[in-house]
Order: sequence, then structure tokens, then C-alpha cells
Amino acid sequence: MQLLNTILIGITAGSIYSLMAIAFVLVWRSTRVINFAQAGMALLSTYFGYEAVTRIGSFWLALPIAMLGGAIFSALVEVILMRVLVKHSSSGPIAAVAPIIATLGLLGLIRSVIAMIWGGQDLRIPPPVSNNGFTVNGEVLVFSPLKLLILITTFILMVLLTILFQRTNLGLSLRASAYAPEIARLSGIRVDLIRTLGWALAGAAGAVAGVFQTVNGNGNFSPDSIEFSLLLVSGFIAAVIGGLDSLLGAVIGGLFLGVVISFVLIYLSGGLFFIAPFVVLLLVLFIRPQGIIGEKVGRRA
Amino acid sequence: MNRRKLISVSAVLAVASLTATAVPANAAEVGVSSSEIKLGMTLPMTGAASLGYNKIPGAAKAYFDYLNANGGVNGRKISLIVKDDRYVPTEAVAKTNELILKDKVMALLAPLGTANVKAVASSVNPSRRGIPVLFVNTGFSGFADVKKYPTTYAILPSYIMEAKIMGEYIKENFAGKKIGLLYQDDDFGSDALAGFKTAGINFAVKVPYASGSQGAAAAAGWITKFKAAEADVVILFGVSSATSAMLGTAAVLKYAPQWMLGSVGGDATTIKLTGVPAGVLYNAIGFSPVPATTDLNDEYVKLFSDIYAKAVPGSVFDLNVLLGMNSAFMTAQALKAAGQNPTRKSLMAVLNTKGATLANSALTPVGYSTKSHVGLTGYWVGKYSPTGDLLPIGGTYTTYTTDSGAGAVVKSTYKRPAMPAKGLPN
Amino acid sequence: MHKLKPRAHFTLFLIFGFLLFLAGNRVDELRVYQGASIAVFVIAISSLILLTGYSGQVSLGHGALMAIGAYSATLARNEFQIPIILTFFVAVLATAVGGALLGAAAARLSGPYLAGTTLALAIGLPSLANQFSILGGEQGLIFDVGFPPLGLGEDFTQYKWFFWIAALAALISTWLLSNILSSRYGRNWRAGRSNEAAAQICGINTGRSKILAFTISAGIAGLAGALLSMTIGTVSPSAFPLALSFALLTGAVLSGVSTLSGVMIGAVVLVAIPEIADVVAHRIGSSENITTNLPGFIVSALLIVTVLFVPNGPVEQHRARAAKKAAKKRL
Repeated sequence: MQLLNTILIGITAGSIYSLMAIAFVLVWRSTRVINFAQAGMALLSTYFGYEAVTRIGSFWLALPIAMLGGAIFSALVEVILMRVLVKHSSSGPIAAVAPIIATLGLLGLIRSVIAMIWGGQDLRIPPPVSNNGFTVNGEVLVFSPLKLLILITTFILMVLLTILFQRTNLGLSLRASAYAPEIARLSGIRVDLIRTLGWALAGAAGAVAGVFQTVNGNGNFSPDSIEFSLLLVSGFIAAVIGGLDSLLGAVIGGLFLGVVISFVLIYLSGGLFFIAPFVVLLLVLFIRPQGIIGEKVGRRA
Repeated sequence: MNRRKLISVSAVLAVASLTATAVPANAAEVGVSSSEIKLGMTLPMTGAASLGYNKIPGAAKAYFDYLNANGGVNGRKISLIVKDDRYVPTEAVAKTNELILKDKVMALLAPLGTANVKAVASSVNPSRRGIPVLFVNTGFSGFADVKKYPTTYAILPSYIMEAKIMGEYIKENFAGKKIGLLYQDDDFGSDALAGFKTAGINFAVKVPYASGSQGAAAAAGWITKFKAAEADVVILFGVSSATSAMLGTAAVLKYAPQWMLGSVGGDATTIKLTGVPAGVLYNAIGFSPVPATTDLNDEYVKLFSDIYAKAVPGSVFDLNVLLGMNSAFMTAQALKAAGQNPTRKSLMAVLNTKGATLANSALTPVGYSTKSHVGLTGYWVGKYSPTGDLLPIGGTYTTYTTDSGAGAVVKSTYKRPAMPAKGLPN
Repeated sequence: MHKLKPRAHFTLFLIFGFLLFLAGNRVDELRVYQGASIAVFVIAISSLILLTGYSGQVSLGHGALMAIGAYSATLARNEFQIPIILTFFVAVLATAVGGALLGAAAARLSGPYLAGTTLALAIGLPSLANQFSILGGEQGLIFDVGFPPLGLGEDFTQYKWFFWIAALAALISTWLLSNILSSRYGRNWRAGRSNEAAAQICGINTGRSKILAFTISAGIAGLAGALLSMTIGTVSPSAFPLALSFALLTGAVLSGVSTLSGVMIGAVVLVAIPEIADVVAHRIGSSENITTNLPGFIVSALLIVTVLFVPNGPVEQHRARAAKKAAKKRL
């Protein structure tokens, strides 16, 4: 029974990491940048969701609103910040690390703006469906309608995104703009617009991750929530484990990470919660540097 | 040579900026002016551990505003500067440094958290600087030790006392049952363990949690351990957020042993705010050193709730508010007794000699002297009502009192003196 | 790299040290305490300048390295009662070892992968203190460097003592570091950063060079960590949050990530920002929320603006502009 509980807890947490990883991968595939501010955007989207829930009262409306807010904000960031960045940081030692540092600065900026507007205290989004475990054979499982909802949503999003990328012209344009922007431009694809779209999609995915991360806990969140730092790190690690280039890899990476951490927490010790992602990352990078699904491309970003 | 110039310039600039703000020393007592006395407080206002406690500044200020509107203390207004340390000891040190160096407060009032007060004591070292640390908001027994903390005054009964009283109650009512304990993995927790040991309680299971890690996910892990040990009674000796996480998750998992809540995390209002249904608290056992916060027959509770309702409308008058106002009230009395020109030294002299006669709402007196800074010494036992309010068992306050050593637990015979008129220092 | 002759270089440090000594005697306690914090930041930022600016390896985890230094110094003091000055050496050595290991692990990574790994380390490592009771858990351990020696007089405050120790350590470590950076090793690092393949062709063992960079950078960061704990008096996981690692990176970028001479700019800005933000916020008379968060906002905004418009730091920018002007004149 404990085994089953462990796996279930792991899969649920893991699917949230997958959503975050999807956001990272989307940004990477469209602009070849790792956006460390992704968690900050997810946090902001969660606040949008909170506002929606408190004013409208419906979680089911609030979630799309949060996604929309996340998408718009993300697109704005791409247009305002990233394009300027690419233009200015040409040479010198900073070139390679400039996007990293810029997104880190953005993370801090978002956090402080959130705290300035909403304050530093805990706010709460109550879960939309019950978080009481299902009862199976008289035993209460640590699996509830809420967790089922999270799993299903992640699955649906992944399927939708995969269809978008693999089966539509838009998806083809997205992939082309990332890998060969000049050629794509010559083919008439509006590369800049496509890139913004990639960021927008990432923003939406991140929003879902943020909201679910909040309601999966006790619903409380604040600008300094440790949950969001964890989301950032775990989402990134999940993306790397999955190979950084494929959405499927992001999902697998997320689930893998979630389950492994769950086992470590329950069978080893709860205190290893924060160091476990680091160890998993190191192990994966050593054993299979290209990730579970990634192609054997050099790790030179 | 551009580089050399640049280095020199930046060096001079840095030094100049440091020097430019040299400030001459103040002649009178620090923090005391002709119109104002400044006090400083550090506690978690935001963050996981802030749950419930962040009402304390509002409560203290409510009392001080009432006091200031009625003449203040010997013609001076008391102002309280509050800094958020997020329950992080190193931030408590940084914020306390600010209070002392920048805001130049006269004394520190009710800093919260065992680890935080300890960190401040060792690095900022208020004792060495003669700065009074009044009514620390922690029950760690060590703070009553005058040799180690000469300028620090405890107020809450120590955790050892609380654990001993709990132990006595368990021996009387739950003999032979399996007892489980949830405690914080630092001095706060080890104090409790020492008390339980003195009381002779053997636990079927003890679950520590690391301060800062008390979330719903962790709580599920705790419950697994308590279930495995088949605990009949589970004592929650943690902060409010840990207690709430535990009760909330237990409700979800339908786990319902006999709960016993320590006073630190036992404020019902705070717990209910996190979504824990009142029904979960019903019939849990709790402890408090001050009258029940819903007991409007008690003159202190009546006056303080009125003051608070006017100052912070819409906010529930709970244990944190009562304790906060109580400490503010005692501070005002001590400052008044320190005379027309209070100094840090005279303030502490008042506490050392007259501390026990200061009016306060608790059901036991404080035990200040030049040899000991022990605060209150007892708790009454209560049960939570169906609406989740803590009420004395049997309807009347039966207060148990003991010490932080090997002394027995006995029923208190203390009769609390009447409150001074209008709750103002006389 | 330095066009200054070694003796002039050394004299400059001596003079600066003397100026600091004078300043320390004249200002009030608050400034002295801040001076100690600035010194700590100078050391920590300089370690990042070495690693990121010279060797091109981004680290988001220097807060964790500082933690290693702090804990090892504290444990050495509390468990073995070694004299204070030796505890700092212990901090440097222990962290350097950690840095070597980390460097070896990270040698194959670059760019965002390295950043992400160090990020995970920054979050994970300090929490290990909760696993081993000797590390004191969340409450932490007390690191007491003791009172200033009586020979310095009754009025010599604790804060001033911190300032003296930290400033002296900063002077020494910065002088040593600038020598290392202008040596063959510094040139190797810069070569490896600009073009790894070309550097290897020239016979530089870039792998070893990178590990060396990590090792030295870590040792210096460890020193900063031990000094930080000295000023706070305790060492606990909460003293080394993710925000610290970010602040260090910010300070490095503000200083000019590859310019050691600018290191004071970054350090002063980091310490001065909360002050300035406080004054600004009080002037505007704004709410609690704004006052508490304005410093963080300003620091982050400053970082973004700097990376966008002054990416190589003010010193480098100034130099580049001067060089351009000189070149134009020649035309």
C-alpha cells in the first residue's frame, strides 16, 4: 500500500514538474534560451488565477484566465526584454551568460512586484475538487479527485501541444524558426512572431503548473513560497533529464523526477527533499548527458 | 593610467560614503526623547511560520494607541517599530541590528522564536550592551537564566513547565494509552522533551519536524508514523503552521486520535483560517496561561477585546492578540514605574524588584527577581468546543503550576488581583 | 593584465588599507557594520569574477559554497577549538576541496546546464544541515569569534572588530586574486573562455584549467562565507538562501563580470541598495508592502538594465569607450 501511495504521490508531483518542463522546452525550442524567470511567471499567473477565483468564484474559469494572463505576460517579456537583449549583448565574456542573468533578474523583479502589489502574506486558492483520498478496500489512498484532475490535465495539454507541433503548419513554423531562423525567414515565416508565440505557449503551461502546484499543497502561496523555487529547479531538471528538446522528454523527465523524489522522501528521509533533485540531475548528466530522449548533440549551449 | 585612477577613485568614493554619514552620539537614553519612547519588535510577519503570529504587532499597537490617547506614559507616547524576520534566525539578527543601530530603540519587545532570540543573544548581544529584551515570545526555559541572559525577561511559561503539566494530565486521564509526540527539531522541541522526561512520559512514537518544512506533504509522512505506532493520544507541540498542516491533512486522511495541542500552536482561530474544519478540533485538549479569549466575563478579555475591535475591526480576538496586548500592558506599567526619566537600567530595576506586582491578565504571576527572570508558571486545561474555541474543562479555570526543574505539578491557588482602572498603568 | 608594477600594486593596497583604518575610527557603528558586510561581498563577488568573468563558467550556487566555508569554520571552532584565524584557513581549504569536486563534475557542462546544476546545488546543499545533527539543523550553530582583544581599549566595539577582520581579509584576498588573474593561469582561463578549441590547440589543458578556476573560486567564496557567519554570529541554512547566490551574480555583473577593479562597485551597491530604497520609500510615504520589497525590486531592475546596456560592467564600458576615442583620434 505504501508503495502504491508513493508512486501516486510521485506521479502527481511529477506531472506538475512536467508542465513546468514543457514550458522550459517550449522556450528553448523557439528561442534557444533557458528562461529562469519561468517560475516567476508561473507565480504571477497563479496570482492572476487567485484574483479570478476570488472575484468570479469559479476555479474552472480562473484556470483559463490564469493561462491567458500567463501567455500574454510571457509574450510581452519576449518582445520587450529578449529582443533587446539579443541586440545588445554581442561580445565579451557576458555574451553566453547574458540571457541567463537577464532572466534571473526578471525572476527577482517579478517576485518583488508581486509582493509590492499583493503583499508578502499567504493567500489561498482552495482546491476545486476534493483532495480527500479515494477509499479502496477500506484503505484511504493518497490519491484524490484533485490529483486525478492534475494528471488528466497534464495529459491533455501534452497531447494538444504535440499535435500542434507535429501536425500543424504552425508547429512546423515553430520548429523551423528555432533551428534555422534565417532559412525560415526566407521561406516567408514571420520568425519573430513565431518566437513570441512559443513564449506565450510556455507562459500558459507555466500558469497551469503554478496553479496546480499551489492547490496540490494546502492551497497557500506567497511570493517567497519555497514551492515555487522547487518548481523552478525541478522543472528545469525535468527538462534536462528529458533532453531539453522534446516535449515527450519533458513529460517523461518530470514523471521520472517526481517518482524518484517521492521514493527518496518516503523510504529514505523527508529532509532530503531539497538535495534530491541535484543528485538526480548530476546522475543523469553523467550517465546519459543527452537526456532520456535527446539526440546526441554536444552539451554546448 | 586610467585603471589606476579608476581604482583610486572608486576606493575614495567608497571610503567617503562610509565617512560622510558619521553621526554624533545622543546624550539622553537611547530611544527615549521628551515625547516618545521607541520599542522594537522582530517576528515572522510573512512566510510559513507567520501564521497567526503576525497579528501580534497590531495587537500591541492597539494597546499602545489606547494608552497614548490616554496620556501615554508620564507624558510620553510609546511607539513600536516592527521588523519582519520570517522566523529565520539570521534575519532576526539583521533586523535586530537595524532596530538597535538605525532605529535606536530603547528596548526590544516580544521577539518571537527560540532560535531567533538565541541567535540575537549571541551575535547582537543585547546583554553586553545593556539593552532590555522584554517578554520574549518563546517558552524556552533557558531565557529565564539571569546569568546567561541578564537583560532578557521571559513571559510565557516554559515549555518544560507545559510539558510537565501535559504529562500530569496524561497520567491522570490516559494512563496505559499509547502517546505520540510531534515536535520541532530544535531547542523549542528539546525543551519539551526534557519536560516530558521529568514527567515520566514514555512515548510510543516521537516525530520531529525541521523548522521551515511544515507543509501538507510532510504532514502525510508524520501521520503514517503515528498510525504505524497506533498512538491513542497525539501531542502537537509545534508552531501554528505545523499544527494546522497536521490537523488539515489528518482531516483529509480521516485520521482522528485524541489530539492534545501545545499552546504555541494551539490558537483555534489561526488553525481554522487554514481551512481546518472546526469539527476536527472538537474535543481536542488544549492549554492556555491566560483566560479564554471568548470569556467576556473576564475583565481583561472584555477590555482588551473592545480596544482591539475598535483598532482592528473585523479581526478576531484570539490568543496571539491577548498575549500581545498583555505584554504591551505590562511594558507600559514597567515604563511608568521607571519614573520621569526612564533609562534602560531603571526599567530593568523595576522588573527585577516589582515585576511580580505588575498587573497582568494571566492566571499565574510572573516570577522576576534579580536572580531569575522566569515568567508565568502555569496553564489551565481546556477542551475545544464544537465551534473550535478552547474552553476550560468543567467551566471553571483549574490552573496547574510547576517549575522548570523537578518540582511537582500542583493546582495553583493564585488569586489574580483586579485590573487597574480602564486598563491603564496607575 | 595589470600594467602596474608589482610594488606599486602592493603599495596601492596598503594605502587603501590605511584609509579604511582611518574611516573605521570615524564613523558610527552602523557604517562600520555595513563596512564589514561590504568587505564580505567584495570577497564573494571577486570569486565569481574569477569563475564567471575569467573562466566563463556561470555559477548560480556560490551561496552554497559560502555555506560550506561557514559551516567548516564553525565546526572547526566548536568541535576542535582551533584559533579563529585558523578557522578561516579551514574554511578556504574545505570549500576549495568542494569546489574541486564540483568543478570536476561540471567540467563537461556549460551555459544553462552548468547554471541549472549550480542552481540545484544552491537550493539543495544548505538544507543538508537538517540531516546531520552535528550541523545544527534549521536553528544552526553559533559562531563566536570572541570579543576584541582588551589591548584595543574598552570602547572598541564588536562591530568594529568584525570590520577590521573582514576588511583585512578582503584586502589580502583581493590582492592575491589580482595577482593570480594577471598570471599565466588568468590568461589560460580567458583563453579557454573565448574559444576552447583554439586554447586546446595552443596547448592549454582547458579541463584542468576549469577545475582550477572552480577550486580557487570556491576557496575564496568559502572565506566570504566564514566571514559572513562571523558578522551574524550564527551559521544556519537560512543564511544562504537562493537570493544570496543571485545577489552575488548581480554584484558581479554590476562590477563588470570580468573586471576585478570594479568589485567594490558591486559590493557597495548591494549593501547600499536597501538603505537607499528605505529612504526613497519613506520619502514617498508608501505602504509596508512597497517598503519591504523595494530593495529587491531595485536590485533586480538594476541587474536587468546592466545586462542589457552595460553588459561588461562600467569599468570595461569606460575602457572600451576610451579605446574607441583613442582609435578615432588616430584616424
